[in-house]
Parts: sequence; C-alpha cells; structure tokens
Amino acid sequence: MSADVRDILDMERANTPEVTKDSFLATKKRNFERTKHASRRPEGMNREVFALLYTDKKDAPPLLPTDTALGIGGGYKQTKARLGMKKVRKWEWAPFTNPARTDSAAFHHWKRVSDDSGEYPFANFNVQLEIPTYTMTEYNAHLRNNITNWSKVQTDHLFDLARRFDLRFIVMKDRWNHHQHGAKTVEELKERYYEVVALLAKAKNQTIEKKVYSYDPEHERRRKEQLEKLFKRTPTEVEEEQILINEMKKIEARKKERERKTQDLQKLISQADQQNEHASSTPSTRKYEKKLHKKKVHHQPRPSKVDSVVNAIEIGSSGIKFADLRGSGVSLRSQKMKLPANIGQRKVKALEQAIQEFKVDPAPPPTEDICTAFNELRSDMVLLCELRTALSTCIYEMESLKHQYEAACPGKTLNIPPSMAPLKTETLDNSTN
Amino acid sequence: MSGGNMLYGGDEIGALVFDPGHHSLRVGYAQEDSPKAEIPSVVGIGASPTPETNLDPETKTDNNVTPNNSDSRKYYVDTNYVNVPRSQMEVQTYMKDGMIDNWDLFEKVIDYAYANVIQSEPEYHPVLFSEASWNVRNNREKLTELMFEKYNVPAFFLVKNAVLAAFSSGRATALVVDSGATHTSAVPVHEGYVLSQAVVKSPLGGDFLSRQCRQHLDKLNIDLSPVYKIASKDVVKERDNARFTLRKLPENLTQSWQNYMVQLLMQDFQMNILQVLENPFDERVAAQIPTVHYEFPNGYHQDFGSERFKIAESLFDNAMLGAGQLASTSVGMCDADVRLSLFGSVVVTGGNTLLQGFPERLNRDLQLRAPSNTRLKMISANGSVERRFGAWIGGSILASIGTFQQMWISSQEYEEAGKSQVERKCP
Repeated sequence: MSADVRDILDMERANTPEVTKDSFLATKKRNFERTKHASRRPEGMNREVFALLYTDKKDAPPLLPTDTALGIGGGYKQTKARLGMKKVRKWEWAPFTNPARTDSAAFHHWKRVSDDSGEYPFANFNVQLEIPTYTMTEYNAHLRNNITNWSKVQTDHLFDLARRFDLRFIVMKDRWNHHQHGAKTVEELKERYYEVVALLAKAKNQTIEKKVYSYDPEHERRRKEQLEKLFKRTPTEVEEEQILINEMKKIEARKKERERKTQDLQKLISQADQQNEHASSTPSTRKYEKKLHKKKVHHQPRPSKVDSVVNAIEIGSSGIKFADLRGSGVSLRSQKMKLPANIGQRKVKALEQAIQEFKVDPAPPPTEDICTAFNELRSDMVLLCELRTALSTCIYEMESLKHQYEAACPGKTLNIPPSMAPLKTETLDNSTN
Repeated sequence: MSGGNMLYGGDEIGALVFDPGHHSLRVGYAQEDSPKAEIPSVVGIGASPTPETNLDPETKTDNNVTPNNSDSRKYYVDTNYVNVPRSQMEVQTYMKDGMIDNWDLFEKVIDYAYANVIQSEPEYHPVLFSEASWNVRNNREKLTELMFEKYNVPAFFLVKNAVLAAFSSGRATALVVDSGATHTSAVPVHEGYVLSQAVVKSPLGGDFLSRQCRQHLDKLNIDLSPVYKIASKDVVKERDNARFTLRKLPENLTQSWQNYMVQLLMQDFQMNILQVLENPFDERVAAQIPTVHYEFPNGYHQDFGSERFKIAESLFDNAMLGAGQLASTSVGMCDADVRLSLFGSVVVTGGNTLLQGFPERLNRDLQLRAPSNTRLKMISANGSVERRFGAWIGGSILASIGTFQQMWISSQEYEEAGKSQVERKCP
C-alpha cells in the first residue's frame, strides 16, 4: 500500500543494493522471513497489475493442487501442522445446579475450566404460564354459583390440570379424571376455565391491566360439530359435492362468456353510433378524408400530414377530457375547471389565444352550470384549433399538389372545384358559431 | 458448557436410556446415535446347580451368571448366553402386554446391562426409561422404586415410548404407529403428551407373523431345525430332501428354549421372505411378483411365491385390527381439532414395520380411511436401526437436551415425596 503511494507520488524508492553473490545467497536464505520486504514491483509492470497479485508468497500459484512439498507449486509449505501455541484449555466433569429445578439436585456435565460457572443457561427457557389461583373465600364469594354446575372439587381438578399441562386443553381433557368428576368435553373445560379467570380478574380488579380472553362456547361447539360433519362425509358425498362444484364452475364460466359477448356487442353499437354522429357533424372533413384516402391509395404514395390530423379528430381524441373529481374528501368546484395535466403545452397556448380571441373570461365564477359550460366551450375551442390546423395543412397540401401538377404538366392549370376551394373567413365563422 | 452447546440446545449429563420392549431391551448413553446394546427380553433360567455343573468350565467363565443367594438357580442374559444349548435351561420373558411383568428377571437383565454394557456404577448416571403408552400406575411406581432403591440412580424419568418415537422424527405432535413383536399400536401424541384415551392396539405383531409362518411351513412339512441342531449339511438341489448331520447336544433341552430358537429362525424367515402388497391381496397380482429363495439351516431350500404376501396380509386385512384401521380409529377418537395435524405426521416405528411394503400399505389404507382432502404424511425412518430403535433414539435426544434437565425426578425428590410423584412428574 505504502509502496503504491510512493509510486504515485513518484517518491524515491529505497535503494536496492547491488546484487553480489554473497548478498544474493544471504537474501535467498532469509527469504522466508522477509518475504514482505522482498515484494517489489518488477520494472515496467503496471502498478495496477502488480496490485492484483497475491501478496503473501511470491511464487507462481500452483496450476494443480498438490500435496507434495516437492511439487512445482510447493504443496504445503509446512510439513508439520502448526497448531496454536497456546495451552489447551481444560475441560472438567463439573457439577451444576439448575435454578429451574425446585430442588437443588446437582448433575454433572463437561465444561471448560476457564468458563465461569454462572447460572445454568437453559434455566432461562423455563417459562411458566401464569394461571390464577383462588382461595376458599374467593371461591365462595365469586365462583360458587355458576350455571354449568361446577363443584369446587371439579374446579380444583381443572386448575390442577391446567397447571400441569400448561393449558393444553386437549391433553387436559384426556387426563380428566372422568371416574371421579364425570365426563367433560374440551369446550366445557375451556368454558369453565375462562369463566373463572374472568371472574377472578374482575374480583381482583385486574381488568384494567389485562384483557380477559372471552370464550364463546356455543360458537366453538358449533364449529366442532361442523368439523365433525366435514370429517364424516362419505366418499359418495364428497364425490357429489365435487361434481356440483364443477357444475357451478361451468355455469359461471358460461355466464362470464355471455357477459363478455354482450359487452362486445354494446361497444360495437356505441362505436357505430359515435361514428354516425361524427359523420353528420363534420361532413366536410369526412369528405376530405375520403378523397384524400382515395388519392393516397391510387396515386400518391407520399404520406400526408392531413391523415393524422383527420384521424385524430375522427377518433375523438381531440377536445379536453376534464378529470372527474371523484377522489375522496372535499374539493373546490373551481378545481373542476382546471385543465388536466396531460394536455400538451401547445394546446394550452392555443387555448389561451382562443380565449383571448373570443374575449371569454379566463376564470369565470365556478357555479355548476358555468363549470360545465366553460369546460365544454374550452373543449370545443381545442377542437376548433385542431380543425383549423387541419384545414391549413389541407390547403397547404392542396396548393403544393397543385404546384407539383403544374410543374409536371406545364401550361395546364389545375382547376380546383369551388366546393374544395378554401373559404377562409366563412369556415372560420361557421365553426366558431 | 460451551457456546456450541447453547446453540444446539444440548447438554449431556451422562444419562442412560433404557427402552424395554417385547423383543429386546435397548440400553445406551444419551446423546448417542444408537443404543450400546440390544439385549433380548428373554432370560434363560438354569436348573438348580448340582456339584457337577459347577465344575463345568464353561459356566465358570460366564461372568454373566448371577449367583443369587436366596435362589441358587443360574440366569443367562443376552444372546451369547441364551442361545447356547444347555440342559434344563428354561427360557422366559419378563414382559407382558408391553409392560414389565417379572421383576426378578428384569432386575437380572438390568444388572447385566450395568455390569457388561455400561460398565459403570449406576449412581453416576441419571436414567431415562421408556414405557408403553398404556402402562399402569403400579408398574410405573415399582420401576421408580427399583431404580432409586436398588440402583441408587441420581435421577430418573419415565416417558411413553410413543412420545419418544415422535421426538426421534422431530415431531411433538404425531400419530405413532408402532408395530413391534407382540402388538401393533396407534398412539396419538399431542404436543409431547400421549392422548391416552385414544390409544388403540392389536395383538398382531411380529410374533403373530412368526406363528403364521411356522404353521405354514409345518403344513408344507419343512423341517425347522434351527442352527444349533446342525453339525454339517450337504448342498442339495432345490426342494430335495435335506442331507445333514445332527450335532451332539446336551440332554434335557427344554421345550421353551427350543421354541425360542425356532422363533428366532422364523424371525429371520419372515424378515427375508414376507412382503406386504400395496393393495389388498390378490392371487393374480401376487403370482406375478418374482419368487424369493430361502435356505433353511438344514440345507433344504426352495422358492416362495404368493404365500409371502398371503401371510403378511394378515396384518392388514383384519376388519378391526388391521394396521390402517387401528390408525384411523385412533385418530377418530381424538378431538376434531387435532385430527388434521395427526394425519399430517404419521410416524411409523418398530421392528415389524421393516417388513417389506409395510409403510406403503399403511399409507394406502390410511388414505382410504382418512377424510377426503386431508394431507396425509407418513414419516418412516429409512435405516433399520432408526426404525427399530425409534423410541430409544428419541430418549437419547430428550435426555441430552439442556431444557430437559429440570424435569428429572432427583433422588432428593424421591426421598421427600416418594414413588407416587412419578404419576405427576412424568406425564
């Protein structure tokens, strides 16, 4: 590293002494100890390339793994394993006591002599559930009367089992002494247990600190009943159910298919309607388009700008789609009049110009009616602008075509039929009205 | 105690694990992979010694023989001693119905285990015992008393073998289907506790199959001379009469010992030959499966075909006691909430389940009986050691877990509260 820095800074290197036979032998002998110092960059080798080289031993890396010390790679440098020079830490068969035990029985295990004999680490895992206890007076005061007719002995047995089996109610039910205390179901045990816990908590005013688990035995019973029924289905029943499910799936698929078809149909119908409307409202453009198309198809491979404009108008992408303010919460109505963000800068400019041109108030008071009317108006304005551009493009193209024609056939003039002649002022007035 | 131990939760305190069964008693140190020894659960009882047998050099060198002052009979424990033909040696088991029954004989075996297997003093090693899930209070207390009073163990614990088998497969909740020598049982274990009211067992186990095999072979008039009778045998062609010479045997071999030896032969036969079909027995299917060759100790040999499956089928085709029926009955008796988790881990353990095709067939039978759409998962260890010693391995794991060390009944506690606390402390 430091050699690199020296190199970069072009600092002087430590002088390498001239190689004589003696010095060569001497360095060779001590090579092993001073490999670090021996690592010098060969002349002409790039610093970066040198840095990629391993830095411990300066011989070529072995091509093949080898075990022999005589191998080209050198194999293991030390024939003897070099183990740690520290003394081996001793182990002893030592007694230990476990604080998790109730007695102080000592068992033995192997431990390092050096390890301090702290607390038995596994005692931490001895987690005990907190199961409430009650005294005789408490029992008489709060627990004696219960609808399910539990006696004190039964309750005691229940709590004993709860403590022994850490509230594993299924095991508790298994170990329930049904000879002495009568058969009980898991639900009955749970019901009584949580009842007692809740009553005790109430009596001891613990409700604030701890939420008492409320148990719904009826729900549990019904759930189990259903589970039992589920398990007890015969194979034929299961099969029948499967068949029914498959049938239902089929029906649903069919229904979906039908819905899809009607939707498609409706779309088609509405599209056709729109097209009709368009056709009737802008006959001139339609005509243009038809003509132009014909021209294009038959004579002119040149792409016409007009097409795109006309198409855009045709599809109905012109105009402004104002955002529906359906978002949650309250909003200002003037927000409705805000131009949506996806409108291009050019359109916005054109719109501003049009507003100025027709002397419309750019920010009218946003009442309901004005909002919709203003939005429609601006939408129409945009459409108008687009039509204007389309028209001018058409005129330009027509002019240029005319010139082309005249250039191609000198002496002839192309008579443009009057219906197609540019009627500048009229069309403008018409559309603005 | 080092960091590694804390990480894996283990803390080994030199405990011993005993797993008594009808076929054998498994003994070993906790935290080991497999038991140190498997001692047959039969004891040979010699005749009252007469001066001449005392001079017998063979018995003199037996360090196994336990001289008992009150009763001067000799007891022979472990394979190497039991399997030797001796005149008037009766063979008797100390187990009955999965529980220890003959306590005198059982003590002999424990003595032997401490002296020859553990080779250490009992007072240095806490002892974990396994027991049948239906063990009775009287037996449990007696065992506790025996271990503390006679062997002065520092601590003792008793766990149901089904729980241990579930632990050995890493489950706390499982349905343990254990097919051993004398019975097959289905025991639901819920969070480490046996649901004792839903335990179902049947007397169809390995010994039942052995009897079936013996009947069948007797019907075929095959001579079932065990190895001890044979001095030499010639190679004969298949199904040819065997040519062999009998060994010179001591006189007065008892019937019980001879039966025991035949039973060992039958066990070998059934493990090599029998197989369970995956579907209920069908003569045509069985006939298509290649036959298996078996040579008896006297040199007679033949192929066995469809009878291999017919005999094994008896473990499953019984309407009430078939293994699949047992398992589903047991689950059906449990609370509806635990049934799915029980079906979700069915642990198959016990030596008899090593019968070829046993787990597959059980899986099929259980699938048919389980409610539809339940996820059924069978867990059966692949190795024969893991399958046979499932309960022992579970005990080995349990006794070497750090958090378990607070559970032992210590000798101090025993002195204070007596043997009756085993009922409370060992659920």
